[in-house]
Amino acid sequence: MPNDKNTISSGKQNSSLSGKVKQAEQVLLPDLDVNLERLHRFLGGGEDIACRTLQHRSFDNTRYALLYIDGIVEGTSINTMLLSLLDDANNQYSDSVSGETPDLYRHLTDRSIAIGRLSEVSTIEQAGYAMLEGCTVLVVDGCLRAIVMDTCGGKTRAVEEPSSQTVIRGPKEGFTENLRTNTSLIRRIIKSPDLRFDYKVIGHQTRTNVAVVYLEGIAEQEIVKEVHRRLDKIDIDGVLESGYIEEFIQDRAFTPFPLLQNTERPDTASAALLEGQVVIIVSGTPFALVAPVTFVKFFQSSEDYYQRYDIATFLRIIRMASFFISMLLPSLYIAITTFHQEMLPTSLLISLAAQREGIPFPALLEAFLMEITFEILREAGVRMPRIIGPAISIVGALVLGQAAVQAGIISAAMVIVVSFTAIASFVIPAVNMGIAARLIRFVLMILAGTFGLFGIMSGLMILLAHLCGLRSFGKPYMMPFAPFVASNLKDVLLRVPWWAMRKRPLNISSDNNLIREGTGQKPKPDQEGA
Amino acid sequence: MVTLRQMAIMVILFLIGSSSLFLLGGKAERDAWMSVAVGVLAGFVLISFVTLQIQRLEPDRNLIEIFKLYFGKVIGFVFGFIYVIYFCYKCTRNVREFADLSIMFLLSDTPLSVIMLIICIIGGYAVMGGLGVFFRMAEVLLPILLLIYAVIYMLLIFTGTIDLGRLLPILEKGFKPVWDSAIPEIISFPFGEMVLFLMFWRYIDRSSFSQVIKVTLNSYLLAGVFITVMNVVIIASLGSLAGWSTVPLLQATTFVAIGDVFERFDPLVALLFFTAVYVKLTAYYLGASLALAYLLRISLRIAAIPVGIGIFFGSFWFKSYMHQVNVGFEQNLKYHFPIFQIYIPLLLLIVMLLRSGVRSSSKHQSQPSSEDSNHAK
Repeated sequence: MPNDKNTISSGKQNSSLSGKVKQAEQVLLPDLDVNLERLHRFLGGGEDIACRTLQHRSFDNTRYALLYIDGIVEGTSINTMLLSLLDDANNQYSDSVSGETPDLYRHLTDRSIAIGRLSEVSTIEQAGYAMLEGCTVLVVDGCLRAIVMDTCGGKTRAVEEPSSQTVIRGPKEGFTENLRTNTSLIRRIIKSPDLRFDYKVIGHQTRTNVAVVYLEGIAEQEIVKEVHRRLDKIDIDGVLESGYIEEFIQDRAFTPFPLLQNTERPDTASAALLEGQVVIIVSGTPFALVAPVTFVKFFQSSEDYYQRYDIATFLRIIRMASFFISMLLPSLYIAITTFHQEMLPTSLLISLAAQREGIPFPALLEAFLMEITFEILREAGVRMPRIIGPAISIVGALVLGQAAVQAGIISAAMVIVVSFTAIASFVIPAVNMGIAARLIRFVLMILAGTFGLFGIMSGLMILLAHLCGLRSFGKPYMMPFAPFVASNLKDVLLRVPWWAMRKRPLNISSDNNLIREGTGQKPKPDQEGA
Repeated sequence: MVTLRQMAIMVILFLIGSSSLFLLGGKAERDAWMSVAVGVLAGFVLISFVTLQIQRLEPDRNLIEIFKLYFGKVIGFVFGFIYVIYFCYKCTRNVREFADLSIMFLLSDTPLSVIMLIICIIGGYAVMGGLGVFFRMAEVLLPILLLIYAVIYMLLIFTGTIDLGRLLPILEKGFKPVWDSAIPEIISFPFGEMVLFLMFWRYIDRSSFSQVIKVTLNSYLLAGVFITVMNVVIIASLGSLAGWSTVPLLQATTFVAIGDVFERFDPLVALLFFTAVYVKLTAYYLGASLALAYLLRISLRIAAIPVGIGIFFGSFWFKSYMHQVNVGFEQNLKYHFPIFQIYIPLLLLIVMLLRSGVRSSSKHQSQPSSEDSNHAK
């Protein structure tokens, strides 16, 4: 997409780094037909390669050719350009160019091409790769350079409401698969000259464009450099989604917890930029990556900042609680019913015991059956064709829930526990954090089934040690709890009103630019009392 | 690196640790809390005039390095190794305590060995993460523990379990029993145990060592006050029963009942104790591993393995929980621990003061090696 000279040359570097250059670079030759033939050969001569040859009247009928790949260029701009070129080709400029050596190349670039962005290339590779980006290449007979015109376009999805990260109040725009659209969505929100986009090309086959976005002066320079360093180290043939990149650049490989946040929302990305984080946008996916990130970030929704602060705080606590419920509830149920019945009030114990009387399985197995069933149902819900939806829900709700209880295979209490766990796991705004809770749940269930509360506590201790050891781009994951950063607590479990959050988060944003708003903006009642 | 705040939190958690399990100064009966107060003050004198002074003279070295520097290679190694054993032994006692209490209150049918293995694994996992990880864990745990303690105290107060009248009459038998049960037992446990921090202090991120001294002493006093208050609460809620029960605070909470629904808080309280004991045993495990790593010049991760195995098998030495408690209270506290907590540090301090020339001359040769940064992670 970004097809100015810089990107093209950086793309070339990337491919030469990975040793994928097949032969010495072919420079453009004076003969137009040879150049066209070689360009066709370079691109494999597919049917979608369009070539249009023209002749210019005022330059001794010099031939020149337009080349582009159909479908990835914007048709309308090709047509307008062609119109103006044709118009120009038929004109006689004997008077106006008098006194100068007739140079078609100069004439075309300066006077006749109706395209905003031009650049020039001098080799077949550069021209070919530019065409693969969606550019149009203009080759002139007898000229050693070619003109590259930005005509990128073609069919892309329109900007729609994000499907996985929805809000009630807040912007409804979501990122798309098109990198240029995504960068423009951010540009439109943050109209600052400090906003920086550094482009990279990753993947020797897919040549996926990646943009590193940050706010100069607010993002920590070290972090930006580190992001660049890690991205430059990636050597892979293809990048189809930001998940590929995430696995390459996260700080530690073996952890169930996400070490980078992903977002489908330009407003979330912009908020991250304003707090000094770095956003990585990958062409071909609406999910942008945000780094560095801390554990608590995954429990925040962009809506927290649009709703009133009191309800936002309440919802955050609910989400945090849901995370623990989703992780712990089945294992606590197993531990208490198996090992620590005395903890329950007598009446509840009796009713539980009565329910479990006819159940042939121990609580651990029962819970495992139900949890696995639920996981299968959930996966089926994601994969199945939409039309079969109602059938699955009937089977799920009636057969697996009610009938299993009536048949005496599963106790009713277990159904309640599993359903509650399932619902709680959907409350966490970040799907990848929800997945972490899902995986840990099973480990804790086994521990609870074998060692009761002692097992759960051991598991939680290991989990805590693991979390305290994690880092995201060098920043401790458990910040601001450990290490404790008091001023950041304003925006963790609590969300204090906007006028009280004067500083950007410490330790994430650059240290010398922390103040983001003026003092004394707290709304005051009218002094007159009128 | 470790921040000052993290160190303060670690001092508090470490001191509260397993001392919440026992009635300290039980021999002074209802004046036990005064024994604890005396112990806090005596311990305060000990750490401010001995332990911290050692570190103040050599702020950038840990105990093992100081031994090697002042006692020479061979004797320094021997002293260093003795401390590895001491730290391991302390850890062993905590592991055993943890395991026995788990069996007593949570898991009556699980074999001791399995539980001890799990404890060693969860301790070892944190140790292998390194100093930074462990200190950060403490930072997360402290607010949770304080919250639960606050809830327990509130429950005890609002259900009327606490009766300060049980503390009367004060000093019925004079001051002697108070003093006798405080010295040396309460210094040895828990306050003299601060000697372990000679392994940690040098990793603290500070601008001057006086900050470390100030923060350490403040958090020490805070923990001391907390333990004294806990002692008062135990005696005020249990009276003379306090001396007899295995875990007095746990006993106290069994009297709590809210309505007819919530009657059993003790498994919850047990979990609270276990967290505290866990912090303590891991601190010792970490101290022993660090010491071994420096003695043998190996990395912390490797040192943690033999130390962990040693702790695991060492824990089988005690025949029972009561054996462990008895060995601890009857012998170790009186005769053995003071050696490590008072006499050797005192000896070291004297040697350091006498050979103060060593420090200035050795400054040039031994800069902190690259190996140090490995451990500091």
